[in-house]
This record gives sequence, structure tokens and C-alpha cells, in this order.
Amino acid sequence: MIPTFIGITLLSFIIVHNAPGDPAELMAGGGLAAAGGAGISLQKRGAVDQALAEWRALYGLDKPLHVQYLIWLKNLARLDLGSSFKDSRSVWEKIRERLPVTMKLEFFSLLLVYAVALPLGVFSATHRNSIGDHVTTLAAFVLFAVPVIWAATMALVFICGGDFLYLFPPGGMTSIDYSLDWPLWERIKDQIWHLFLPVVLLSYAGFAGLSRYMRSSMLEVLRQDYVQVARAKGLAERVVVFKHAVRNSLIPQVTILAELLPGLIGGSVIIETVFSIPGMGQLGYEAFLARDYPVVLALLTITAVLTLIGILLSDILLAAVDPRIAFGRRAE
Amino acid sequence: MRLSVLLAFVLFLTLTLRGDGFTQPAEQPVTGDWLLTHSLSDPEQLNPLTSNDASASEILGYIFESMLQLDPRTLRLKPLLAEARPEISKDKLSYTFKLRRDAHFSDGRPITGDDLLFSIKAIKCPLVDAPFLRVYFDSVVDAQLIDPYTVRFTTKEPYFLNEEQLGGISVMPRHVYDPQNLLKSVGVRDLLGEPAKLPEPVKRFADNFNKNFSRSPVGSGPYSFGFWKTGQEVQLARDPNYWGNGKPGVDQPHIDRLRFRIVNNYDAALIQLKSGDLDMMETLTPVQATRGSNSDRFKRQFARYEYYAPAYTYIGWNNASPIFRDKRVRQAMTYFTNREQMVKAILFGLGTVVESPIYFARPEYDKNLYHYPYDPKKALAVLAEDGWKDTDGDGILDKVIDGKKVPLRFEIKVNSGNDVREAVALTLQDELKKHGIAASVRQVDWTIFLDDVKNHKFDAVILGWQMSVTEGDNYQVWHSSQAANKGSNAISFKNARVDKILEDYRREFDEKKRFEMAKEFQRILNDEQPYTFLFSRKTVSAVARRFHGVEVLPAGLRPLEWWVPRAQQKYGARPTAN
Repeated sequence: MIPTFIGITLLSFIIVHNAPGDPAELMAGGGLAAAGGAGISLQKRGAVDQALAEWRALYGLDKPLHVQYLIWLKNLARLDLGSSFKDSRSVWEKIRERLPVTMKLEFFSLLLVYAVALPLGVFSATHRNSIGDHVTTLAAFVLFAVPVIWAATMALVFICGGDFLYLFPPGGMTSIDYSLDWPLWERIKDQIWHLFLPVVLLSYAGFAGLSRYMRSSMLEVLRQDYVQVARAKGLAERVVVFKHAVRNSLIPQVTILAELLPGLIGGSVIIETVFSIPGMGQLGYEAFLARDYPVVLALLTITAVLTLIGILLSDILLAAVDPRIAFGRRAE
Repeated sequence: MRLSVLLAFVLFLTLTLRGDGFTQPAEQPVTGDWLLTHSLSDPEQLNPLTSNDASASEILGYIFESMLQLDPRTLRLKPLLAEARPEISKDKLSYTFKLRRDAHFSDGRPITGDDLLFSIKAIKCPLVDAPFLRVYFDSVVDAQLIDPYTVRFTTKEPYFLNEEQLGGISVMPRHVYDPQNLLKSVGVRDLLGEPAKLPEPVKRFADNFNKNFSRSPVGSGPYSFGFWKTGQEVQLARDPNYWGNGKPGVDQPHIDRLRFRIVNNYDAALIQLKSGDLDMMETLTPVQATRGSNSDRFKRQFARYEYYAPAYTYIGWNNASPIFRDKRVRQAMTYFTNREQMVKAILFGLGTVVESPIYFARPEYDKNLYHYPYDPKKALAVLAEDGWKDTDGDGILDKVIDGKKVPLRFEIKVNSGNDVREAVALTLQDELKKHGIAASVRQVDWTIFLDDVKNHKFDAVILGWQMSVTEGDNYQVWHSSQAANKGSNAISFKNARVDKILEDYRREFDEKKRFEMAKEFQRILNDEQPYTFLFSRKTVSAVARRFHGVEVLPAGLRPLEWWVPRAQQKYGARPTAN
């Protein structure tokens, strides 16, 4: 895992630092271009070049790339991700600030996806090729095909208090006059009201995939001999399905869950932008546009680590739930 | 008799009318309520030295004050933290500011020369993360404390904007930003040398200043910092103990809280405005201004204000390229550009065509400049006069330049994501195609675009400049020296007479003479057409109708003067009715 990790970070580092665009000029652009013609006492461009050089030196960008990488790696070993170009705050702090929001959203939407898609898959499998199967399958695929940016914008325009209905708040995480003095229940209610639309919008596209997985693995299980035996024993169909079949067909789903780990912190630029939610998606997107190397690298690194952990976890989980798989002991 | 009765009646009427202000106490400004205003993005940081973006400077403007301020109506400098305008020495090199003695920071500590001196030292310290602000104070070589309330600045050379720049320094409380007084040992002169050789305490100060003071500003202004929730909101609260309370000539704000709600997309912001989550949007997009805000309900709830901001969009022709080297080609391009139609179709009429880099509301703007009409025939004639014609019959004009046959073919670069600029480029491309000129349009990501512009890697670019409502210095954009080294004269405009004017302009302290020079400068540009000046855009703002005292000033809207009648106040603790 370690060599893989080094490889990933080295590649990321090289690509990020060589992407066209100079962060120093971008930083300067904000101040100098805006004031252009507005009378700055620029005796000569030399002053600006010096400013750019000063800025690069402040952030260590004047050193050769391999030295920068080694410094970065050394800091990483001490869990120091550096500080952002944009506001010189520690990258950890910036991530810590946004992580809870994103994790809350992603967690609930994951919950919703599983809560809807698993029963849907079971239903499709047990009612294979019935009208119900076709209708739910079609519905799931139609949802899958609806672009989230369109759905989110429509929701915002029609049910968030614009010129039409006002069923949900048009953005933010809490109401304008939200305060800690509110009774607990009121505060929870307010948060749920704000989370509802973003969670639904984050989830609906996931119904199709997972319910298809569930359906096919369920069908496979239903064909197994032991299910026939259970039926032959005279068990009720309900018991056969939920006690014997569903459990076993959940095994592949568990491994998917482990791979979703990095997704938990990824965030969604679209949902966050439409509903003004300060999450990880925006952080990454803006950092990339601004060539904020430390933030971009930190996010890439964390995602890489979580992906590696996720793969490891899914291997372990698989071995745990499926005794047919064992590591390295096969020869013995 | 009848006449006298009538007279008495008229007299009575006049008296009552004049007494209106007294008989209707509801019209007196009162304090209270909050203003929820739209902010497109988070400020990068909230520190008057290290912040570098528009969002931050708007917010910091409520928290920090400087020695001088611009009168919002006359745009003249007037004292704020200083007792008067500075004393300027005969050689125009030193500026002496006397601070008023009754001003204090929001924590109650008085503002003294020590704080002012600290502020300039912090700016000049090369280790402080403010290199781009430092550029403006490049000419300051010394600052001395004459007495506890007097500071004298010394500059390298005379410059007509020095007073405005020095007077505009945000005065920061030394006891907050440098609690250990680490900068005490050094003077401004000591900070000019090699950064590496600076004494240890200065390094410690800079490190601490860069890291720990970017999110909780403390100043002396009418509002103090409340909190900042990243990506959601920055909140300011009116300081009840503001030193300026009740002082003549100092702003007396009424709104209790200013809440800058961060909504990074305009469509969502407009919905939030309509649903009542925002009270104000300073900028509506052209579509929103013309179609999204016309319902009766909207008009009942919000008042709209239209005004121009000092900025313009232009097409820059690379004056160094063989094609655009001759001014006749550039003039022809302007004749080909149907600017009136662009304003109508692309900006939905929310703009006006401009002919000069100077803001058209400024007194030094030359109102007699030649207005280039849309006139393709004239354009073709001008091109023919310069020797362009289609000699090989391929449908594209050509001309022999430096012994080589050059077709009139070029690329217009715009930054991707800017719909207005893209539309301008495509419209012009379409027009040019009809007349045997092959223009292509290329969209480039902003970061790459900036690089290309600074390195002169373009034939034509569409860009904009923002100016200030006050008098500007055109040196940075138009002097030939600024064409080298990635300067702002990216189109390489070089004109000896313009150079001379711009050099003299900076040293001229007589406003009338400067304005004359500005007019000559504009006439030369008008003839040379280094840019095709396009338009200034109108800003359309929407403000909830419960706010009173809203007025369009030369620099736009100014919430410092607004208030809400008690009965209409929406937020905050209201006094219980009877």
C-alpha cells in the first residue's frame, strides 16, 4: 500500500504543479487588475515582480519541484497538510470546517439510497417480470437519467419560495433567525427541513444502480437449492425471502458500501452550489480553479487514502461474510 | 377682509407644510432591524492588509477606518480619523497627519499615532503576506511619530495620489495585532532592506500576523465583527459605543446587524430574495433584471435601483502584431463593431457605449470625443486605404507586410464562462465574415487566459477594467514601459506623446491642468483605437422596500445611511408595544 500511496501522491503533485496557470499571478490579479487604471503608484513593473517573488517565497514555491515534494511529504508524515494560498489558513482547519456538513448530507443520502433501493430490488426480484417490476425499474432508470442540476434548479424555482410554492427553504443549513435559544425539537425540525431537499436530490440517481444489483443477486440466491429446500419445508414465502434469501444476497452490497467510503467526503458541487451549502465539493472545486495547490493536494491525498482503506476494508469484509474467500492460506 | 382670510389660510398651509418633519415623527430615522445582503463568495480573509478581494474590502469598510475618507456625494477627500487634511511639504514629499483625539477602537482603547505608525510598518514589512498592497506604498520611505497624535510620512517622489493613498491606510489597533509590540524596535527605513536580515522579533511578528489575524478583525468603525461561518455568512453588529456617535460629519448608521449571506449563484440568490431570506441583491444579472423581477409581487416587495459602475469592457488589439500595427485596421474594427446593437441584444439594454478609458461620469472625461458609428462601408474604405484587398480571390482580404503576404485572419480570445464576452466575440466574428475577414473565437480557462494576456499571446482579447469613481492614474495601463515584463499594457500600446502626458500627470498637483492633460490623452486614444472600447454596464440592485433612505450615490448604494421605520422592522429585539 505504501508504494501505491507514494506513487499516487507523486503523480498528483507533478500534475497539480504543472497545470497551466500561476497561483501567484492569480493572487496578484485580484488586487492589481481590479485597481488597474485606478491609480496605483506603480513606479515600474519591477515592484510587481518583486511582490510576486515575495509571495512565492512566502509559500515556498521558489524552490525546485522535487524539493517542494520532499518538504510536502515530510510535512504530511507529521500530518501537516500546509496552509491554503487563498487565506493562509491551515488546510486541516478548512477541511474540518466543511466535513461535518458534507458527511451529514452524504450519510443521510446513503441511508436513503439503501432504504429505497434494497426493498425495491427485493420487490423486483420476487415479482420478476410483473408489471410492478417493470414500472419500478422504469421509474428508477428515469430518475437515474434526470440530470441533478436540472432537478435541483426546478425544485428551487418551483417549491422554494420564489414565484410559486414555498414548501422548502431555498438554501442554507438553518433558518435566518435560527438560534441556540430555540428548544431542541425546533432546532432539529429546522435542520431536517433544510436537509430534506438536498438529501433527496443527492440520492435519487442512486436508486437505479443499487436496486439492479440487489435484484440480480437476489434472483441468483432465489435459484439456489437451499431456497428450494426452505420452500419445500413448507415455510411461508415471506420467511423464505426475508430470512433466507435477502441475507445472502446482501453480501455483494456490503462490499459496495466499503467502496463508497471516499464518496462520503467528496461532496457535490452542484447541490452545494444550488442550495448554498458550504461543503467539500465547493472547497475542492474552488481550490482547483484558484490553483490552491495545498488544498487540492490534501483532498487528492485524503481521497486516495480513503480509497485504499475502502478497498482493504471491502476485502476484509468479504472474507468475513463469505468463508470461501481466505487470504494467502489457500495453498495450505 | 376676504383677502386677509385667504392670506391667513395660505400662511397656515405653509406653516403646516414646513412643520411636516415635526408632525410626523415616524419619518425620523430610527435604529434597529437587520440587513441581509447577498454576497457571491466568502471573503478570502478579513484582514485589511492581507485581504485581496472585493468581498473582503466591502465588509472591512464597515469595521476599519482611515485618516481620510471620500465624501460619498462630492467624492472629495475629507478627514475622518484625522483632524484635517494632511499638511503637505513644499517639495510634495512629506505628508503630516494629525489624528483626532476623541476616537477610539471598538474595545474602547484610544486611537493614537502609535497605531497609525504600526499600520504602515505592518504594510511595509516584507514578511507580511501583503505584497500586492505593498506595491501601492512602494514610494513610502519613512514614517515618524512627531508627537503621540501626529505622524509624518516621507515619500520618494511627488505623486498626485499620495494623499489619497496615505489617507486611506486602515488604522489597526496595535495592541490587538501586535500585542507584544514586536515592531517597536524597527522603523519603516529598517524594513526596506533584505527580508532575511530582519531582526528575530519582526519575523515572529510577521509569522503571527499572517497566521492568526485573518478571521476576527478589530477596528474602530461603526460596525464590529460578529462571526463568520465559512460558506454561509459573515455577520457584523452595530457598535453601540462607536466613537463617532452623535459627531457631526461622521456616519450615524441605524441598522443593527449587517448579515452578508453567501450564495454563490445568482439564480439561487434571487429565489432567496423572493422568499425573504435576503433583503438585498446588489447585482441582478441582465436576465433577472429584465425578466425575473417584473411581477407585481416583486415590485411591491422590492425597489429597484439602476446605476453605472465605473468599469468598461473592451476588445484589446495586439498593437505589436503585424495586422493591428496600423491604427487604420484598428479603427476599421471599431467601425465593424455594432456596439449599440450589442448593448441592446446582449446586455438587454442595460449599458452604454463608451469611447475612453476614463469613467464617463468623471469631470476629466472628454465629452467631445469622436463617436465611431457602426459603419461597415466606412470600415472597408479605411482598410482599402491601408492597402487591404483580396488579391488572390480566396475571399479573405490580404496585404503585403514586411515583404510577406498576410491574410486578414486572427483569433479573438475570451475567458470561458463569460457569456457576455463570448456573445460579443461571436457577433463580431459574424459581421467580419461578411466582409472578407476571418476571425475565430477561442474560449480559454481564466488562469490560462491571464497567462496568455500577460505574455502577449493573443491577436485580440475581450476584457474589462474596473476603475474607481475617483480620479485615476492611467500610467499602469497605457505607458509604454508597462508593455514589458507582464505589465498591464498587455496590448503593447506605445505612443511617445501619451508617455510624456502620463509621466507629467503623476507629478502635477493642479487639478485643472491634470484634467486638460487627461483630455489630450483621451483624444490620442480616440484616434489610435488601441482598444475598441465597448460599453459600461448598468448595475441593477433590488432592496426590500422597508428600508428607507436608500439613494443612488456616485459610488453606488450605501447601507450606512439606511433605516427601517419601527413598525416595519422585521428582525431583532423590538421594544414591546406599550
